[in-house]
Amino acid sequence: MSTGLLVLVMLLIVLAVIAVQQRQDAGPIAQRFIEQFAMLVPRMVFALIAAGFIAKLIPKEAIASLLGEDAGLWALPVAVAAGLIVPAGPVIAFAIAAVFAKSGASVPALIAFITSWSIFAAHRILIYELPLLGPTFLRMRILSAMAVPFMAGVIAMIVGLITAFGQPLLTQ
Amino acid sequence: MASFDFLKDPAWRNEVATTAFGKSFWGFAGAAVGFGVLCWLVKGSDDVWAALNEDLSLLVDLMPRVVVALSIAALIWVMMPREKMSALVGSESGMRGLIIATIAGTVTPGGPSSAYALLAAVAVTGADRGALVAYITAWATLGLQRILIWDVPFMGAEFSMLRFAICIPLPIIAGLIARRIPLTLKIKGAES
Repeated sequence: MSTGLLVLVMLLIVLAVIAVQQRQDAGPIAQRFIEQFAMLVPRMVFALIAAGFIAKLIPKEAIASLLGEDAGLWALPVAVAAGLIVPAGPVIAFAIAAVFAKSGASVPALIAFITSWSIFAAHRILIYELPLLGPTFLRMRILSAMAVPFMAGVIAMIVGLITAFGQPLLTQ
Repeated sequence: MASFDFLKDPAWRNEVATTAFGKSFWGFAGAAVGFGVLCWLVKGSDDVWAALNEDLSLLVDLMPRVVVALSIAALIWVMMPREKMSALVGSESGMRGLIIATIAGTVTPGGPSSAYALLAAVAVTGADRGALVAYITAWATLGLQRILIWDVPFMGAEFSMLRFAICIPLPIIAGLIARRIPLTLKIKGAES
């Protein structure tokens, strides 16, 4: 069992013990689990299969030279830009991350991509942020958070010099 | 036991079935078949079988993680006092305000509808802009429910933990930057 899974299992055991002590009702927990499982797993299976085929179709060298270890710091602006222009929900965004990972993208590039998508997901801005908060808030938020995915990528590069922890499952 | 009655509710079962096998599911299934055919035409059958083989071993690896991650997410969802945390956003100033906003964003569950609705509600009261930016940045990058439901299943636990650890200070930095940006804010629905 890998370290990551081990930590998750330990966290689950601790939470389960607390839940039993609090006499939490198992019903809502099971309901939430089933709902999330239904939302994630069927689509994830096919998204990953599609990602596997796409990874075979696109030239690995192109992705690796743009987002791989050899691209160095240049991988970060490319990854951030890629995250900015994915106007879709999590299944598509993570399927793209899977294609990148399979094609040799580095961990810092993947972190910059996912963080950039998390912060700037275009569909979320159009559906929620502009109607609820307006353009002045959006402008201020983008200026404030613009540097965040770059910082995440740079910190990941520095961490990568010390430890190899954090390789995505897809590349192992 | 009465609390499992939802299992017998036809409306709920219907909703779960639609979530699982709705339009979006068939879109992904179609994409998988389409790219499979394309791969077979361009690269030949060997690569198609190799890809399917890799997918299968990946999915076998992922499934235990998915089950564990979703169980944790469900337990946190039920046990975490979410409303109490989010009520604190904007109630404190200074560094404390940013740290509280970051923690609140981290525990705010699920999709953008709840997070943005809360943000809008806090914003119209004229809360500190640094806290607003820290809150939504934390929700986007550190949100526990989001990481357990999306990052861990797709990328594995180690990668997700690394990304989480790296991102912890970043919403606070974004909040500090927001406080220094000389822009006037006109929040919709707020009286200026």
